[in-house]
Amino acid sequence: MLNQRLIGVVTVKDGWAVQSFGYGRWLPMGKPECVVENLDRWGADEILILCLDRSRRQLGPDFATLERLKRLNLATPLIYGGGIRSAEDGVAVVQLGADRVCVDALLRDDLTAVHKLSRQLGAQAVVAALPLSVVNGALAWRDYRRATDTSLDPAVLAALNDGTISEALLIDWRHEGSPGAFDPEIVRLFPARGRQLIAFGGLSESAQLADLFALPTVTAAGVGNFLSYREHAIQTLKAGLPGVAMRPAAYPTSERSCPESV
Amino acid sequence: MSRRGIGIVDYGVGNHTSVWRTLYTLGYRCKVTSRPEELDTMDLLVLPGVGAFPAAMQAIHARGLATYLRAAAAADRPLLGICLGMQMLADSSTEYGETPGLGLIPGRVDAIGSGLWHIGWNSIDASPADPLVGRSASESFYFNHSYAVDCPIEFAVAHATLGRRFPVVTRRGRIVGVQFHPEKSQLAGRQLLTDIIGGLLHA
Repeated sequence: MLNQRLIGVVTVKDGWAVQSFGYGRWLPMGKPECVVENLDRWGADEILILCLDRSRRQLGPDFATLERLKRLNLATPLIYGGGIRSAEDGVAVVQLGADRVCVDALLRDDLTAVHKLSRQLGAQAVVAALPLSVVNGALAWRDYRRATDTSLDPAVLAALNDGTISEALLIDWRHEGSPGAFDPEIVRLFPARGRQLIAFGGLSESAQLADLFALPTVTAAGVGNFLSYREHAIQTLKAGLPGVAMRPAAYPTSERSCPESV
Repeated sequence: MSRRGIGIVDYGVGNHTSVWRTLYTLGYRCKVTSRPEELDTMDLLVLPGVGAFPAAMQAIHARGLATYLRAAAAADRPLLGICLGMQMLADSSTEYGETPGLGLIPGRVDAIGSGLWHIGWNSIDASPADPLVGRSASESFYFNHSYAVDCPIEFAVAHATLGRRFPVVTRRGRIVGVQFHPEKSQLAGRQLLTDIIGGLLHA
């Protein structure tokens, strides 16, 4: 049966992996390729790279980071988000080694380009990143470039419903980086048509993940900072999810993590 | 002793790097190319694929590779299609309208189901006795697609289930297609590639 996924999320700012807190505070952690290599070795089900300064500064995708990741020989599927301005950018990102692309600003700037991207890569390769919060019992969609909130655009929801976009990454941006703080109301209020949601932001504990995975619309959960705070965090989180349909924790997972001397 | 060579067919679509690196680390001599004279020197051809079926077939035809691949199959050269590459081995697809495929393994590509995506890790169902995929009979692999091949049972080597059961490994002689991404399926993928490529080269 199709398993639910635990996604390792790496936030990148100015070319460095950072710990991210509430979309407003960042602490440097190291080279993205080192963090990604660890997630690959530790058996993450997917790895998501979010380069958060690219659209704000109109820099386009972080091709330099993708080039470095390309050399890692990753054995884990890679999703890339950040600075994608057009369908051509998305295709270039895939040609540099990403398996899927994640769009945020493009949803607001040029939904036509998202449709074009879907036709070129296939909808299964297109993920919508939606920073959300709950305000007065309703979902508020964060425009992080303008620091404003709006209601969800019906055209974006239509793209999710008509099969242009395969999955939505629901980011609890207020609680990002705060342990155990993800607001499950974001998932419950989101008008998903099926199992197509990825929850992210403030997810750190197995019990939290188990509650989310019990919801009929959740297919995956992303964990960011907290995977870097303790040893074998992916294995530990998975070990705490015995009733969830999920690949068992695996370690090691690639040839590179098996030293030749063993 | 010379290493076996694998030609990764480059038709300008998708990510060839992951496939190249995985096969290279398995010990093969690998070349990503669209040039027939270079592909001719290789022991096995790999047709990777990411994207939508019509765009990929258009790219294959634009480079004259459809004719080349059909001739290679007719000459009994081993060929492995991965993900969309597996779908292109079939007769046709309904993705964004009816588009003819390479017609190397009988079958038709159709939507898995309305609004159904097969994204993530799923186990495959195969006979443990199968020489190519038997050792991977209960392993999980990474899938990322919404269309699947429907083929006569004699060409279906392994299946997966998402709402319905559908073929995820197909075979006709020395031509094999895998719907998932073995190059992104960690140790399980490496094992499967080792078995399939080794099996095809010695078939």
